[in-house]
Amino acid sequence: MEPSLVAFDQNFSGAADDFPALLRRKGLLAPAAIVNSQGGTPHQKSWQPTEATTILAFKFSGGVLVAGDRRATAGNTVVYDRADKVLEIDRHSIMAIAGVPATAWEMARVLEHSFQYFRRTQLQEMSVDGKVRALSKLLRDNFGFVMQGVGVVVPIFATYDSHPKPEARLYFYDAMGAQFEATDYAATGSGSPAVRGILYYENNWRAKPLQKLSEDEAVSIALRALDTAAESDTSTGGVDRGGKIYPLIKIVSREGITTLPESKIAAVFKETVA
Amino acid sequence: MIEEPYRWVEAIANRREYIEAQLASGSPIAALGYHDGILFLTLGQTRQKIFEIYDRIAMGAIGHPGDIERLRMGAIELASTEGFTRSATDVSLRRLVHYSLSPVMKSAFEQVYGPPYLARMLFAEVGERPEEDLFLRVEYDGEIATSGATFAQARQDFAVLSGTQQSRELMESFLKTEHGADASLEAALKSALDAWSIGHMSLQTTDAKELPERAAVSKYLQEQLAHTGIEAGILERDKSRAIRYRSLSDKELRPLISD
Repeated sequence: MEPSLVAFDQNFSGAADDFPALLRRKGLLAPAAIVNSQGGTPHQKSWQPTEATTILAFKFSGGVLVAGDRRATAGNTVVYDRADKVLEIDRHSIMAIAGVPATAWEMARVLEHSFQYFRRTQLQEMSVDGKVRALSKLLRDNFGFVMQGVGVVVPIFATYDSHPKPEARLYFYDAMGAQFEATDYAATGSGSPAVRGILYYENNWRAKPLQKLSEDEAVSIALRALDTAAESDTSTGGVDRGGKIYPLIKIVSREGITTLPESKIAAVFKETVA
Repeated sequence: MIEEPYRWVEAIANRREYIEAQLASGSPIAALGYHDGILFLTLGQTRQKIFEIYDRIAMGAIGHPGDIERLRMGAIELASTEGFTRSATDVSLRRLVHYSLSPVMKSAFEQVYGPPYLARMLFAEVGERPEEDLFLRVEYDGEIATSGATFAQARQDFAVLSGTQQSRELMESFLKTEHGADASLEAALKSALDAWSIGHMSLQTTDAKELPERAAVSKYLQEQLAHTGIEAGILERDKSRAIRYRSLSDKELRPLISD
């Protein structure tokens, strides 16, 4: 008896095979690059963790706010001034990216499909820990490219966890895939040192900590922080006053994700920042 | 001996008879297109029978759980890889069924030394308008039936699946007169429950050629509802979100059918 020539792959235990594995099986995802230690690693020395952008996220009274500037750069050149670096992965999760856009967007796409693939095949939602881990795994698989000086991605992941205790959760990563849960805020990208300073100051020494802020107050601080980052970091777009290009701000709450309309951001900017 | 042609035909006929007998007790599933989407419904199941396949595609199936599972996984894999490499809008039910599932099921059925798929499936894809909804029924031998207009029938806004042909035809003739694409969810729900009862009643007898009396149908439905749960899912027409499938719990549905 000949084996059946049946066309599609039969996976008897869906749990053993996640979506990236399925893509690899079908040859749709490049295997992680392996750095050859014998043959020399020509670009290793030149690798510098420059993720030219500024992304920030912090918890406030209404959930987690995630904001990113819109500038995309290649070396000294501004390539695009309307880049979208705050990406929705599912109804309750946001991935905000600093790093090489090609890799980052691909990662977001894989991640988005991974969560849905899991839900559809396993008939249950992936846990927050599982989602956080899935991104970590993608980053680690990508580390070969990072060591060759291409494709570094350092994301922030914000989500709302309904189990066991309903609360907003915020994670940041390093380029190797280690994940860290942030209690109050996280920032990544080349402009992040300034932002981190501002958020630390706001959280500890101002009238109220970040977690107590209203939405308008939170938006105002996010805009001020990005504007400050853009002041000294050429890779951060901040707010383009002339071109009326505002940062992208999204909020994750129990109800899901809200993208703040530009008119609202413009109003807060005019009132409290400009 | 099966190498001889007529033995092969005999083997296929035996196999068909065997599968039909296996599927005969399968509880009906109804899929109804209504104003805001498509409703899938069945009753009283111990295991799940209605599933999400992709953003705009859902499936209901009867048969052996192991076979349903393999086909479901296959369909999800195909749709997901297509959606990933191209885009979600490129995933189409027509292609999924015609080019992938049907040939696989046919060859499994006709290779008489290997096991066939013991499953009968009903797929639906929600469109932007009710006229664009697509329903496809796929048999264990790869045969496809469509809700679209063919030489033999006008377009239908529904499709059903049941253990026997007789049961299915009775459900269809009921829905043909009772259901329209502009129905509300409540109306679609009621028609689906009635259709399910008609289909299920028919499975209990061998000679039900005519639709049963209205009163008998609702009495039967009430009896069933008293001790079994409703399983349902909808594909919403709402364009504002990419993922249209939502399962409806028994608890959500009971208030809608209480009157």
